[in-house]
Amino acid sequence: MTKNILLVLLYIIILITLGCDNVYYDEHLKMEVQQLDSDLENRWSTTGVVVSSIDPNGPAEKANLSEGELISYVIGEYSIQNPSEFKQAVKKAMMNDNNLLLYLKDKDPIRIATRKMGDKVGLVVEGSGAVRIKSIMAGTPAANTDIIQVGDIVEKIVDERKIQGLDDYKKSVNEFAELNATLTFRTTELIGVKIAAVTALGNLGDARAVDSLIEILKHNRELALRKAAARSLERLVALSELNPLFQQFQRENLNQLPADTLDSDQLVSAEILGLVLVDPKSNTATLEAPFGIQFRHRSEALHQKVNEGQLVELAEQYIQKLNEPEQEIRRACLSILANLKPVSAIEPLVQVLRDQDEIPGIRFQAGLGLSRIGTPATDSLIAAFNEGDTTAQDIAASALGNIGGTQTRDFLIDALETTDDPATQLTLVDAIAKIGDEPSLSALEQQRQRFQGDNSAIRIFLDEVFSSLTTSQE
Amino acid sequence: MKRSLINIFLSLGIVFLIVGCGNQNEHLAKGKELIKSDKRRKEERAVREFKLAIQQQRDNAEAHYLLGFYDSQEFYENDLPEWHQASIAQRGQHMFKAYQNKPREYLEILVFDTLRDDDINVQNAALEALTLVYQQGDRKQLLNQLEKAIKSKDNRDRHDAHWVMSNIGRSDPTTMVPILVDLLEHNQMGTRLNAVKALGEIGSENAIPVLAALIESGSAKRERDREVAEVRQMAVAALGKIGGNAVPELVKITQNKGSSLRVDAIRALSSLGDEKAVQPLLDALKEKSSREIVVNLKK
Repeated sequence: MTKNILLVLLYIIILITLGCDNVYYDEHLKMEVQQLDSDLENRWSTTGVVVSSIDPNGPAEKANLSEGELISYVIGEYSIQNPSEFKQAVKKAMMNDNNLLLYLKDKDPIRIATRKMGDKVGLVVEGSGAVRIKSIMAGTPAANTDIIQVGDIVEKIVDERKIQGLDDYKKSVNEFAELNATLTFRTTELIGVKIAAVTALGNLGDARAVDSLIEILKHNRELALRKAAARSLERLVALSELNPLFQQFQRENLNQLPADTLDSDQLVSAEILGLVLVDPKSNTATLEAPFGIQFRHRSEALHQKVNEGQLVELAEQYIQKLNEPEQEIRRACLSILANLKPVSAIEPLVQVLRDQDEIPGIRFQAGLGLSRIGTPATDSLIAAFNEGDTTAQDIAASALGNIGGTQTRDFLIDALETTDDPATQLTLVDAIAKIGDEPSLSALEQQRQRFQGDNSAIRIFLDEVFSSLTTSQE
Repeated sequence: MKRSLINIFLSLGIVFLIVGCGNQNEHLAKGKELIKSDKRRKEERAVREFKLAIQQQRDNAEAHYLLGFYDSQEFYENDLPEWHQASIAQRGQHMFKAYQNKPREYLEILVFDTLRDDDINVQNAALEALTLVYQQGDRKQLLNQLEKAIKSKDNRDRHDAHWVMSNIGRSDPTTMVPILVDLLEHNQMGTRLNAVKALGEIGSENAIPVLAALIESGSAKRERDREVAEVRQMAVAALGKIGGNAVPELVKITQNKGSSLRVDAIRALSSLGDEKAVQPLLDALKEKSSREIVVNLKK
């Protein structure tokens, strides 16, 4: 009978311990910690415990610890008042991982490690209040560092313990608490989680993400995270530019519309982003599940948020090499400006275009942004052509060719007649050919006659331009 | 004595020959011969023989199977009657007829042999045939074979079985989902992995709780209570395929700071595009950076 009762009791005890064995309530800190997923170590090289809840007014809350923080190290600090405290602290600190940090007055902390458990550290101390090194035993780890000297004052011993799981945590905190040591937690942030979240927010196309992403780009210290934020903002801007297209679907409250009723450029962009499937055979444009369908409900809010102005301001600042050393971020910001086409970006873009320390690819991207802004950028581009180096002339001429217009054309023709630099001549011919109206063509024809019989690159290029013009006319 | 022995052998030989010829359909034999040969367009010519063989013997299982196996729309011009007859559905029908005439033999061939073929069209025809078996044939026997395959030591068998099970399961989840859920207890990791994959592809929301439990087992204290990392990762991907009511489950994983699968869950949410994911992701961005916190324990 008693045997049966005992068995039942045992069973209940097993059940209770099994039920709550992946959490532990810490009496000292008044908080609960939880076992980490076993794969965190393999996949993210992270060990420790995670804080699952904190009691109000307990030591954990007073120390400003937060729920969800991942404690990877528990660090104890032993203050040393007499030789026996020293001995005990060394013993405790060496017990776990055979190493400790020794703090001597007026010296950098020294890490002392023994090869195996029980090996002597090799220090003898004396005194009370101020504890000094009395002797250093030859052949011990302490003797191998020439920093420690007889007479040094021992300030404290620090014991860093890597936490593998709940058991380690329990043991370390209890020991440190018992010895009245000062306790420090070292926490680990899983930066991969934030990067994934930032990337996902770029994909989800929701207006609420904009402020958080700007905040990260401006203030976060992790470069990888800032890069991800710049990419996500770039995507959000690209998505927001498709608002007119998505509004057509939204107004009709349909996920499929005849393709020929929609803006073809926008359709191409939406198809590249994987939001729409265009079937020319049946003349249909269909929003792709799941995201394309969901996005039509969000696109208006995103469009408004993106055009509030703070993104333009941010991008104008971060395209400058002086403000942003990371080229990937500068590129993303240039792409944002090329999409939003604000007139206020003309001067900052011209600065990038003319910056001789900048990578040519990025200077070209700035030129592309200016040609997207169009006619308002003409004067600044002409100035850049007149004052800049050959690369700046090249980019400015090409951008002017994209913009077109009579004023631009006349300037380019004039420049072609006066310039002697062969590379610039080629770019000018190309730009004028892009405009391609009657005066442009006759100007090019004149140039062709000027270089007649010449075997220069410019003549060959002019011939090519004319032959491609005649074939396209046919 | 010697002569009578020879006579016996001779007469036995003749008997075998006659019996053999009687069973063997000559067009079938010719078709098989062609397949083995290195003649030009041998498969196209063999298919013609198999068709003739079926005309001669409508119930010839082997001829049906081989016709289903080798016929191809590449042999004919578009829209010819023969072209339509060589569709995947028709080829599956022929394989199914082989099964109808010799169920045991051809069920095993279809599951363990035909599905393995390199040609995707042959695989699809086999899938078509097995779907017909599920609808019209011995369903129990088929499920037995599929379970045997998904429990096989051979990874290819397991993969093929998962593929058929997820395809059948899409049209009949009520039967297939519980079978796959039971397989999650199997002691072979590859079997569980394929069962999880199939559950994701079927997309039934009934699988959500069991997948969620499997994912959570990662923080169990005892190692034997934990599912292995690959299967748990696959389970998160499966929730991502199921979508709908799996979104809150995925959100829960992203909020579990001790989980190794947060990134996987975030990626799944990112592709689902559900608005419910936005706020939890914004919250994740507010998490504290790495730091050192001093706690005062002295009373």
